[in-house]
Amino acid sequence: VAARRAQKQARSRATREFVSEAEEILERMRADLADLADARGTGGVAPELANRLFRSAHSLKGIAGMFGFEGVSDLAHHLEDILDGLRMGRISPGAPALDLLDEAVELVSGLLERGDGDDAADAQAQVHALIERIVAAVAGVAEPAAADVLEGIDSAVLRALTEYEEHRLRESVRGGRAVHLVEASFEILSFEDGLSELTRAVRELGEVISTLPAPGDSPDSQIRFSLLVATECDSGALRARIDIPNASVRGLRETSTAPGESAPAPAAHAEPLADPADSGGDGIESLKSISDTVRVDIRKLDELMNLVGELVIQRGAIGAIADRLLGDPVTSRIGRELAKVHKALERRLADLQAGVLEVRMVPLRQVFEKLSRVVRRLRRDLGKEVRLDIRGGDTELDKLIVEQLADPLMHVVRNAFDHAIESADERVAAGKPAEGSIRIEALQRGNHVVIEVADDGRGIDPEAVRRRAERLGLVERDAVLSRKETLDLIFAPGLSTTQEITETSGRGVGMDVVRENVTALGGLVHVDSQIGRGTTVVFTLPITLAIIRALTVGVADQRFAIPLTAVLETMLVDPSTIQRSEGREFLTLRGEPLALRRLHAEFGLAAPPLAARLAVVVVGLGDLRLGLLVDRLESQQDAVIKPIQGPVRSVRGIAGATELGDQGTVLVLDVASLVEDAAKRREAA
Amino acid sequence: MSIEAEAIAEPFEEVARRAALHADATSDGSTERELLVLWLGDDAYALPVERVREIVRLRPITPMPRVPASVRGVLSLRGEIVQVIDLRRRLGLASSGDDNPRRRIVVLNGEDGQMTGLLVDRVSEVLRLRDEDLRPPTGREAGTVAALAPQGNRFVSVFDVDRVLDLGVGA
Repeated sequence: VAARRAQKQARSRATREFVSEAEEILERMRADLADLADARGTGGVAPELANRLFRSAHSLKGIAGMFGFEGVSDLAHHLEDILDGLRMGRISPGAPALDLLDEAVELVSGLLERGDGDDAADAQAQVHALIERIVAAVAGVAEPAAADVLEGIDSAVLRALTEYEEHRLRESVRGGRAVHLVEASFEILSFEDGLSELTRAVRELGEVISTLPAPGDSPDSQIRFSLLVATECDSGALRARIDIPNASVRGLRETSTAPGESAPAPAAHAEPLADPADSGGDGIESLKSISDTVRVDIRKLDELMNLVGELVIQRGAIGAIADRLLGDPVTSRIGRELAKVHKALERRLADLQAGVLEVRMVPLRQVFEKLSRVVRRLRRDLGKEVRLDIRGGDTELDKLIVEQLADPLMHVVRNAFDHAIESADERVAAGKPAEGSIRIEALQRGNHVVIEVADDGRGIDPEAVRRRAERLGLVERDAVLSRKETLDLIFAPGLSTTQEITETSGRGVGMDVVRENVTALGGLVHVDSQIGRGTTVVFTLPITLAIIRALTVGVADQRFAIPLTAVLETMLVDPSTIQRSEGREFLTLRGEPLALRRLHAEFGLAAPPLAARLAVVVVGLGDLRLGLLVDRLESQQDAVIKPIQGPVRSVRGIAGATELGDQGTVLVLDVASLVEDAAKRREAA
Repeated sequence: MSIEAEAIAEPFEEVARRAALHADATSDGSTERELLVLWLGDDAYALPVERVREIVRLRPITPMPRVPASVRGVLSLRGEIVQVIDLRRRLGLASSGDDNPRRRIVVLNGEDGQMTGLLVDRVSEVLRLRDEDLRPPTGREAGTVAALAPQGNRFVSVFDVDRVLDLGVGA
C-alpha cells in the first residue's frame, strides 16, 4: 500500500510540476498570440514572435511527452506545423490559423485545469478533433515555388542551413539586402562571451541568419565560428563595426563563385546551434537570457517570508529593550546607542522585507490578458460588439492573490458582457453608441489595490433587486434600505438579477461566490449602478497576504490581533448608549444601527469589571458591519499570520496566530467568520 | 539507566532516524523498537521515538477559545504555531501545577507534516525492546494505549499516538 501511495504521490508531484510549467508556457503563448492578432493588419509575421511561439509549442511538446501527456504532446506537435508555416510565410496569419492556435491553447489550458490531464476519453476526442482540423488546414497550404534567388551563394553554406534559416536568407536576398560571412576565432574557454559580443555587434547592423562552427587552421585552444549575416551595409561598414582583431568579413552575395576554402562544418556539428526550436538561429544569446530568470516554488518564498517575519519580531524585542534602557537614567546612555543601532536595523529589515515581498509580486496583466481573451471569444460567439479597455496591467499583487482573483474577475466581466450590455439595436434606441464598453482599471492605493470593472450597459434596477430579495426572503417587506444597501444585495446567495441562464455566465456561480472569494483574500467588493448608464464593480484587495498591519486588543487576560484591513474604525462608547433588541445588543452609529458582540462572551473568557467607557472595534465584511466590544485597545503592529498546526484543524473566529515581539504568540481573529456568524444568528432570530 | 530529562531535551530527529533504521533491519524476523518514556505523576507511558520531533521545556502557552478542554492552547516553535495538548486533561486525569520545572512539551510529528505538542510531567529515557516483548493493553477497548511494554519489573503503557491526537473533532 505504501509503495502504491508513494507512486501515486510521485505521479501527482510530477503532474503538478508539469501543470505549473505548462501553464507558464501557455501564458507566454497567449501573450504572443495576442500580439500576433494585433499585428495582423500589418501583413507579415515578426520573425521573433513566430520563433517564440514555435519555441513555446516545442517546449510544450517536450514536457508533455516527458510527463506522459500524449494527447497534449501530439497537439503541440501539430501546432508546430502551423507555426512553422507562419514562420516560413507558407501560412498567412489570418483568422483561421489564429483561431486554431487560440483554441488549442484554451483546450490544453482546460485540460490542465481539470487536473486529470488528457486521460479522459472525451478529452482525447477533443484533442483528436482539433488535431484533424489542424492537419486539414496545414495540408491545404501549397509549398511556394522555390525561387532561385539564392543562386550564387556558396552551396556549402546553403547545405548547412536549416529550412528556416534558408527561408530567412531567401527573404533577405529578395529584400535586396547584402549577405556576408563573418568569421572569427575565439579562445575555447571563453568563446561564449566573445561570440555573443560579436553577435551583438553584428545585430546592430543586420540580421544574424545562422551561427556555424567553422574549420580552419586556428590553434587547438581556439574555436572558429562563421556568422551568416544579412544587412543593408557593405562589408566595409560591417568590418568597421566589428571590434575583434582576427575577424574577417566576406561578401557572399556579391561574389558569384566562392572558393570552397572555408566551407562550414558538417551539419551534424552545426545542429545544436542552428536548431530553430532551441535557439531561433541566434544561439548563444538566447540561451543566456534563459538563465536570467529563476523559477521558484512559492513555498520557498513562504519560508523566506517566515524568516523575515521572525527577524521583524526579534527587531521589535530589541526595540523594547532599548526603550527600557532609555527609561532608566542609569542606562539611558547605552539605551540611546542601542536605539540608534535598532533604528538602522529597522531600516535594513524594512528593505529586506520589501525585497522579499517584491519577489512574490506579479503584474495583474496575466489575469487581464485572460479576460481580454475571454471577451474576444465572447465577441465571436455571441456576435456582440463590445470594446474592452484595460488599464493598470502593470499594477502588482502577491502571486497568490492574483491567482485567486482570476475567477471572480472573470465572472464579473462575463456578467457585464452577457447581461449588462444591451444589443446594438437597443443601445442605439437608447441613444448610446452601438458598441458597448467594458473598462477594467487597476491602481494601487496605499497598501491596497483597487480594481474597477465598469460597463456602460443597462445598469441594475434597485427595485427589481429588492423585489427579488423579498421573494427569496432575504429582506423583510418593511425593511428600510439605502440605495447602496439594496444594490449590495446582489452579493447575497441565490440572487441574480436576470432569470435567464445562458451558456456564458450560467455556470452556477453567482455574485455571492465572487464576494466569498474576495473576502477570503481579505478584500472587499462593492457595486454601484445607474439605471441606463451602467454598473461598476469595485474590488479592494490587500497587496500581500503575508504581512499585515494588525490592531491588538485585550480581552480578559488575553490579547488578540485584528487585521487592520477589516477594521473600519475604533471608538470608546458610554455603556448607557448600548441598546437591546431581542436580547441582542446594538449601538446607533451615525444614524444606523450597528450590531454588537462582546468578544469575551464569544470566546468564553472572564467578563471585565464595569467601566465608564467601552472599547468598540467596528469591523466590516462587504456590506456587513459588526461592532466588537473588547476590554482594551492596544497598538498597531506588523504581523505575519501563520496557520495553526495540530489536531483541531479550524476554529470559527480564529484565522491563525502571529508572534508579536515580547507579547509572545497572539491569535488573529477571523473577522469574516465572526461577522458572518453574527449575521446568521440575526437571520435565525 | 535513567537519564536526566535535561540531557535529552534536544532535537530528536537523530534518534528517530536511527529508530527507523532499526525498525527496517530485522535480523531474526522481529522488529526492534525505541520508545520514549514519559511520566504523569507516578505512571509511566511511552511513545514510539520516530513520532517525536523534539522535546522542549514548558513555556508560556497562548490559550485558544472554542477548542476541547484538552487543548491547552498554542505556542510558537521556531516560527511555526503548534497546538499543545495537555496529556493529563486528554486522559481525564487531575491537573498538576505548571510550576513543576520538569514539565516538558513533547513535539510530535502528525500526519501531513503537522506538528502537535504534548504536555507531560516529565520525560526520562529511551527504551529499546523487541516486538515480542510487548503485551496487549489491559485498559478499555479502543483506548489511547496500544500495548504494554516491560520496564524492569513493571510495565509502561505505549500510546497509539494517532488515537491520542484524535480529539473527536472534525479534521
